[in-house]
Amino acid sequence: MTVADALNIVAKGLMIGGGFIGPGIGIGLIGGNYLQAVGRNPEASKFLGQALIFVAIVELFGLLAFASIFIV
Amino acid sequence: MKIYFGSGPIIHVAPGSVMTLFGIPITNSILYGWISLVLISIVLIYASRKSKIKPIGGIVQFIEIGVSFIIDFVHSSFEDENLGKKYSPYFVTLFFFILFNNWLGLLPIVGEGVVSNGYPLLRPFTGDLNATFGMALITMIVVYFSSIKESGGIKNYLMHFFVGTPKNPLYLIIGILEMITDFTRVISLSLRLFLNVAIGEIVIAVFSYLGHFLAPISALPFTLIELFIGALQAYIFTVLSTMYLAIAVNHATDHVSKKSKRIKKGSKSLVGGN
Repeated sequence: MTVADALNIVAKGLMIGGGFIGPGIGIGLIGGNYLQAVGRNPEASKFLGQALIFVAIVELFGLLAFASIFIV
Repeated sequence: MKIYFGSGPIIHVAPGSVMTLFGIPITNSILYGWISLVLISIVLIYASRKSKIKPIGGIVQFIEIGVSFIIDFVHSSFEDENLGKKYSPYFVTLFFFILFNNWLGLLPIVGEGVVSNGYPLLRPFTGDLNATFGMALITMIVVYFSSIKESGGIKNYLMHFFVGTPKNPLYLIIGILEMITDFTRVISLSLRLFLNVAIGEIVIAVFSYLGHFLAPISALPFTLIELFIGALQAYIFTVLSTMYLAIAVNHATDHVSKKSKRIKKGSKSLVGGN
């Protein structure tokens, strides 16, 4: 394994690790705030579908980071 | 003994051509797209023929639940009742097309099991960027044309990008930026669906490779997750495209019908979100 190959693997690891931090925080915030809203007002549980939409919007950026490892 | 040990999981991100028809290369994703198109048409036509007031159960009832779910959502997102009736067929079609394509892509015959010409013979139709880009493009064309038509002219439609009057330079720049961000919707819609399906395929391939001879057990949880994600992505694609249409149409009709009232009241700006 040459140095370039090793650097390639390290770069892919950093890319996945760094790229998943943001969506991880985002999905955690969405889920936590949803549960908090349900805890305060149990009738808010009908908004689970809308919370999932925002989860999908946030998730896109993590998936972009995942897909980028096939390009480098 | 090197039966279970490959050099790594076989991964294809892009579709490949598996055969040629009259000199035109046919990719594996469009081949499976045609097959699933026929299957989806048969199932949906059967369900619509068998649909009765008394529920008969089975796949017909499942499809009825999905149809009424999407129709209720589309009706509630439009302010006008007739508009919901007018546009709900398109979104119901979109939902079922994506849903069944996602789920048919999880069948065992799809993927690396059957290989032709160096590529898997069948590939999920939504796991191809060309397919999802086409769907997103058609959806956004429908959205643009209908919102121009419902708002009564291209000038009224363009006005809804501006918060206040476009003569103010700040509002002008904000409005132009809004127009540019509008075009990213095609890319984000198509990339979201494509990446979810394609990465799901990759994850299943990786975990069935890691499982060696226990591949059916190690890949099972991810296949189940993909079942859920396939349904969720179909729902999200439908909901987001409905939202894009509903926001433009509601806002535009709002402008036309309430403009005179608001000017009489003396309100300065017609504030609206994106």
